[in-house]
Amino acid sequence: MAPLVKVSNLVKRFGGIIAVNDVSFEIHKGETLGFIGPNGAGKSTVVNCLTGYLPATSGTIEMNGVDITRMKPHQRAHMGLARTYQIPRPFPELTALTSVLASSIAGKKRINQSFEDAMYDATHYLEFVGLFSKRNILARDLTFYELRMLELARALATTPQLLFIDEVMAGLNPGEAKNAIKMIRRAKEQFGVTVFWIEHVMAVLMEAADRIVAINYGSKLAEGTPDEVVNNDDVIEAYLGRGWREYA
Amino acid sequence: MVEMELKRDRIVIRLGTKKWEWTLEPRYWRNTLLWAAFLMIAPAVAYFVSPGLINTMISANIYAAIAMPLALMTIGTGRMNFGPQFYIGVGGYTAALLSIAYGWGPLTTLPFAILMSMIAALIFSPLVIMARGLYYVLLTLLLPLVFLEVTFIYTDIFKGDTGLFGIVPLLDTGNAKNNFLIIGYLSTVIMYAYLWIINKILKSRYGLLMAAINDDEDVAHSIGININKIKIIAFVAAATLIGIIGWFYAHYFSSFAGITYLPLTFMLKVLLVLMIGGRAQVFGCVVGGYFVAFLEMLMIRFMGPIQPLLFPIILLILLFILPEGLFGLYRKRRYREYLPTIHVRR
Amino acid sequence: MGTYIQNVVVFTFVMGSIYLLLALGFSLICGVLRIFHLGYAYIFPLTVYGTWMFMSALGWPLIPSILGMIAVQFIVSIIIYKGMIKKYMATEDVLLTALLLVALIVEQAANYFYPIQTGVYLETTLASGTYQFGDAVVPKQLIIGSLIALAMTGAFVFFFVKTKTGMAIRALSQDIYSSKIVGINVETLYMFTMMIVLLPVIIGTLITAPVWSVEPAMGWMYMVTAILVAVLGGLGNIKGTIIASFLIGFTHAIVCFVFGEPRFMNLSALILVMIILVIRPQGLARSESLW
Repeated sequence: MAPLVKVSNLVKRFGGIIAVNDVSFEIHKGETLGFIGPNGAGKSTVVNCLTGYLPATSGTIEMNGVDITRMKPHQRAHMGLARTYQIPRPFPELTALTSVLASSIAGKKRINQSFEDAMYDATHYLEFVGLFSKRNILARDLTFYELRMLELARALATTPQLLFIDEVMAGLNPGEAKNAIKMIRRAKEQFGVTVFWIEHVMAVLMEAADRIVAINYGSKLAEGTPDEVVNNDDVIEAYLGRGWREYA
Repeated sequence: MVEMELKRDRIVIRLGTKKWEWTLEPRYWRNTLLWAAFLMIAPAVAYFVSPGLINTMISANIYAAIAMPLALMTIGTGRMNFGPQFYIGVGGYTAALLSIAYGWGPLTTLPFAILMSMIAALIFSPLVIMARGLYYVLLTLLLPLVFLEVTFIYTDIFKGDTGLFGIVPLLDTGNAKNNFLIIGYLSTVIMYAYLWIINKILKSRYGLLMAAINDDEDVAHSIGININKIKIIAFVAAATLIGIIGWFYAHYFSSFAGITYLPLTFMLKVLLVLMIGGRAQVFGCVVGGYFVAFLEMLMIRFMGPIQPLLFPIILLILLFILPEGLFGLYRKRRYREYLPTIHVRR
Repeated sequence: MGTYIQNVVVFTFVMGSIYLLLALGFSLICGVLRIFHLGYAYIFPLTVYGTWMFMSALGWPLIPSILGMIAVQFIVSIIIYKGMIKKYMATEDVLLTALLLVALIVEQAANYFYPIQTGVYLETTLASGTYQFGDAVVPKQLIIGSLIALAMTGAFVFFFVKTKTGMAIRALSQDIYSSKIVGINVETLYMFTMMIVLLPVIIGTLITAPVWSVEPAMGWMYMVTAILVAVLGGLGNIKGTIIASFLIGFTHAIVCFVFGEPRFMNLSALILVMIILVIRPQGLARSESLW
């Protein structure tokens, strides 16, 4: 079975700095792939290259067999990639409804959808994440948790096949964090999206992820089920330092 | 096949796989229709009272008709164009040169003016993609000044020193007062056409996509908006609409000189119509246009030679004390729909 | 051939240094205050007509008039800073329009009080006559101007690199918040910058006033050159401005002497700037800081 997305030998250089060094992995349809690594390992850079925000220096990215390495971000969105941002980036002057509405209109080529139809569509996504009551409030007046949910709704409104989730736990209190995890699980079930989840909080990924990829200093350390990766020596060394065995 | 359905409160238009809905809400039409009726009767009244007023009305309509595409360009490209009068120059000189050389009437030169404006806009459209914020401001500021220099350099063609004369006038009924009246109505029709088209665009899905681009280009790009296409189309469409006004000026005054329209004095007037009327609110451009035109006329009549000095001072004071513009004073009491605002990016 | 080279070299040197004087102010304001001072054009007519006003209306001799005009310029720039720039830094379109309006108001005031017919003329000639370098003929005034320009630029570079205030201004141009944390008084330094950049511009205008024309609308053409130089060199970078001013001087020289079409000077400079912006959108400068 062909993988949904196949990343081969991805390299990203910024001048002399190699941020992503020959990373290869596959994403299978319907799974939740976790992506872990210490701070500065290059996780967000990998996502930026995959979604088209930054052009990759070399390597190929294939989606459903189609080479998308040189595609612009809006073309990748039409192919089915959507992302949320580590620090939420809403449209500050648009209301919650109009933000999701923009996604709904532009996400794919829609047939027989007028502006009002798209508005009804957008309200469904808002309702799914629980923001229906806040639909007419400007995005810059929402709380942090609501901003994250808005990001999720905006990404889902493009009806993606693959959803990149970038550190959704950061800045949420435990109650909100539980809600966020529940929301992502419900999104997977109801919309059938594949999830690529970058996260620092290991406990979340241990439960939610089917497989995990670990990177450090731009290179891939390990790949496998959560148990395998967590017990991998290289991964532990990356987090704890080289002499960890003496203190374990 | 274009199909139209009429439901109880909306008109649905289908073309292939695209679908547009126009919701009819007559309760919002009252004010617009009242003002429309007023503006339609005003030239006729002025005809009998004081024909000079029709001249001011024409100026007002045309100022509004330049400011509205400028608002569309600003919202659509996310940048403020500080040299829209460049396209007035393009349209005007095309119409003037063709009319003088071949003796063509206004209707024949119109398609060529439109074509040249589109070509000029397409040539400079990469600016919209590549230049951000302040660089864009500077380059658009310089373009008309350089065009003015070119008209002086090639003065045998453009007659930069004296201006081009002898252009075929818009229409000639033999009676000057009747001419003014008909051209007054024509300018009102042009202004309304622009108002209607641009308002519809800004309230439709394309206006929303433009607002999204305005707010955050990269995020808009990643949710599937083809930002370059929308920016270039907005730029070229707005530039063409401004070029048509250049055509109007050339045939209305039967003369066209770059020195009148290309330097910064004229640009500041148009910019202030936009700002004082209500920044990037389309109806505000109409209010601003009438206000600026009538203010100018009153000041010239009652103040004489000090007018060029006091006029910008008054406009500067108004710019500061009216942050929402004149139309913003009205809208604050009746908030109806959302319209995007201008951002000039660093 | 030799004539061409001599003319081009001399012209590039002289004109480049004078453009440097004129553009330095624009570039520095842009780099430090991070705004486009589109009203920059007001400085030129205000210099000339302000001095003339002191001379003709108050009857002062030349030097006190110049000092009086400098005082007026300082006051005007402080008013502009406090009245407009501070309040409207966030809404840039209003600020830019307001600054343009200021330039227009000054031009119209000059036109109203001293229209072109009154024959305003400043006797700021330091040396009359021309000098001959081989085949190239240059007015002595401009040669002295270019030497003064280089001296002033050197003084500015020394100021920014070696003195404490200069370093504070450089820090300010890179990051406002960090500068505030470190204890730099942002307001005072902004005002200081706006005043200090007036000096090269005023001196440049006074030097070129007898040679080039004096009219109320003179500001715009000077500003076009200043803008082109600043944009080409990378806004806010002194090294870039220096290189760019000589580059544009070179372009003007080539167009004037090699192609023989002086009317195309501004147009060719604009085309050069647009081409280089396509290749390198941030201008010629290597870094984003002042030096």
